[in-house]
Amino acid sequence: MKLRAKLGYSAAGITVLVALLVPFFLMGQFTKGFASLGLHVDEMYSGGPKVRTIQTANYSIDIHRPVFPHMLQTEKPFVQLDWKPVSALPEHVSDAVDVDGDGQSDIRVSFDVPKDAKTPLRVNVEALNSHYQSMQNVGKEKFSSLIVRVDDAIVVRVPLACP
Amino acid sequence: MATKARTPKAAAMAPRTIGRSLLLTLPIAFWSLLMFANPQRHSNRAPQIASLITAVFMIVLFFMMMRTGNTYRWRRWFFVALGILFPVGFIHTVMVMRGTMGLPIEEMIAGRTPFCYLPIPLLILPAAFTKSLVFPGSILPSGGMSGAGMAGMAGLWLAVTLVLGKGWCSYACFFGGIEEGMASVPPRAKLRKIDPRWRYGPWAVLLAMVLLSLALFEPAYCMWLCPFKAVSEYVAARNTVGMVQNGIFVVLFAGLVIALPLLTKKRTQCAFFCPFGAFQSIFNKTSVFDVKIDRTRCSPCLLCKTACPTMSLTDESIVRGETLMSCMKCGACVDACPKQAVVWHIKGTEVAGKPERARLLFLYAAWAMAVMFGGSIIAEGLATILHVFV
Repeated sequence: MKLRAKLGYSAAGITVLVALLVPFFLMGQFTKGFASLGLHVDEMYSGGPKVRTIQTANYSIDIHRPVFPHMLQTEKPFVQLDWKPVSALPEHVSDAVDVDGDGQSDIRVSFDVPKDAKTPLRVNVEALNSHYQSMQNVGKEKFSSLIVRVDDAIVVRVPLACP
Repeated sequence: MATKARTPKAAAMAPRTIGRSLLLTLPIAFWSLLMFANPQRHSNRAPQIASLITAVFMIVLFFMMMRTGNTYRWRRWFFVALGILFPVGFIHTVMVMRGTMGLPIEEMIAGRTPFCYLPIPLLILPAAFTKSLVFPGSILPSGGMSGAGMAGMAGLWLAVTLVLGKGWCSYACFFGGIEEGMASVPPRAKLRKIDPRWRYGPWAVLLAMVLLSLALFEPAYCMWLCPFKAVSEYVAARNTVGMVQNGIFVVLFAGLVIALPLLTKKRTQCAFFCPFGAFQSIFNKTSVFDVKIDRTRCSPCLLCKTACPTMSLTDESIVRGETLMSCMKCGACVDACPKQAVVWHIKGTEVAGKPERARLLFLYAAWAMAVMFGGSIIAEGLATILHVFV
């Protein structure tokens, strides 16, 4: 038998062996390897990392780092704010929020909190300075301007005024 | 030259004895029992019965492959079952978890979008440039609505691809079975003349979708072109764009997965459209198994070319004694050849050497993967149906 043929049969045998290792070893190792690559879900979906929390008497507001679109991404830049827990929110929320932490309120966010979790949410945002865009009666049409209930939080995304 | 469309028939190889076939099936029988053994006791017996039925199904199919020498005919039963039962199990899970097949924006933001393997090639460039995965799912293995995040699916895909190469498309893909089933319905093809340039379709779609995904930073294929959204989950139509997207999914599914396979007896979505299939073709170069044509035996009658569901054989490739790189090792051409000139082959060995040895080694690896991955999906779909009765 030629060397090439021997190598071919050896490789075929190894392939069968690898197949047997897939569910018990290889799949797990590859999964761990992929998870350790340091990749993250695009911030247009995840909303970016949380940078600050404003604590009120009953609930908190998490403020995320502003998200800017890549290349030809069709969404506008935005900042995400999470009101939670939903159970502690009043029937109507109207908060002036200092988004950038400079001690001045940047936006006023107003929305109703229906008891039924399936009721669609609508939000009004009044921009208190030129860095943010106002929104009137917005639901969940776009990733960059929306209000949705995600688990135990109400997530509001406010578009930034384009520089 | 006979070019009439035919269903692949049994090769001329004499059938093995029952005893020898059983002996060759033993490793797969042991593997199947290992994969489907479930020591947990459930109040509902449906999953256990489904696992048992699936194990027996997979063992019997492998036994028949050993007994008859046919591959395609018996693999097709598995593949069609996978194609039909995947949507059953998946849609059931989706309906239980969120009450609708529509994917709402809340689920995307929460990172609960189920991740399948089709967008894998689209994620590579954006990840390489920005370390961002342009998919609204979870990375962690335990994340995602289906319990398998992107890391889990990527790990599985990489491991199975290492073993099967492009064989993924015949032994692991849970979408291709629908069109393979459709293609097997008519006795002969009504549409026989297909421009061979359609063969470049998957590469064109792959290139366009990779570039578009990089430019728009979204999984462009999932958002706009995936025909299988019609039988898994669609974009919750929250505006006109969503309605257009869903319209495209339905039209592509009806055309490429239902109508054209019925007319051509080909896997038209795989052969002319699927970007993942094109991407997977690259891994045929790394796989040790392939299909060759023994020129000393070939007439050529071109029955293999007619039988190939993805047009991976051309007159020129037959003269060269090989398939195109899009060959997904389904075995249709091998089964169709009346002279046993089309053979399973291990790279580096003689084509006219020991093709049955090559077939056995390939089938052990491929069927082990089929049982592990496809079998578990079949069992889940079957359990969903059995829940109604048990």
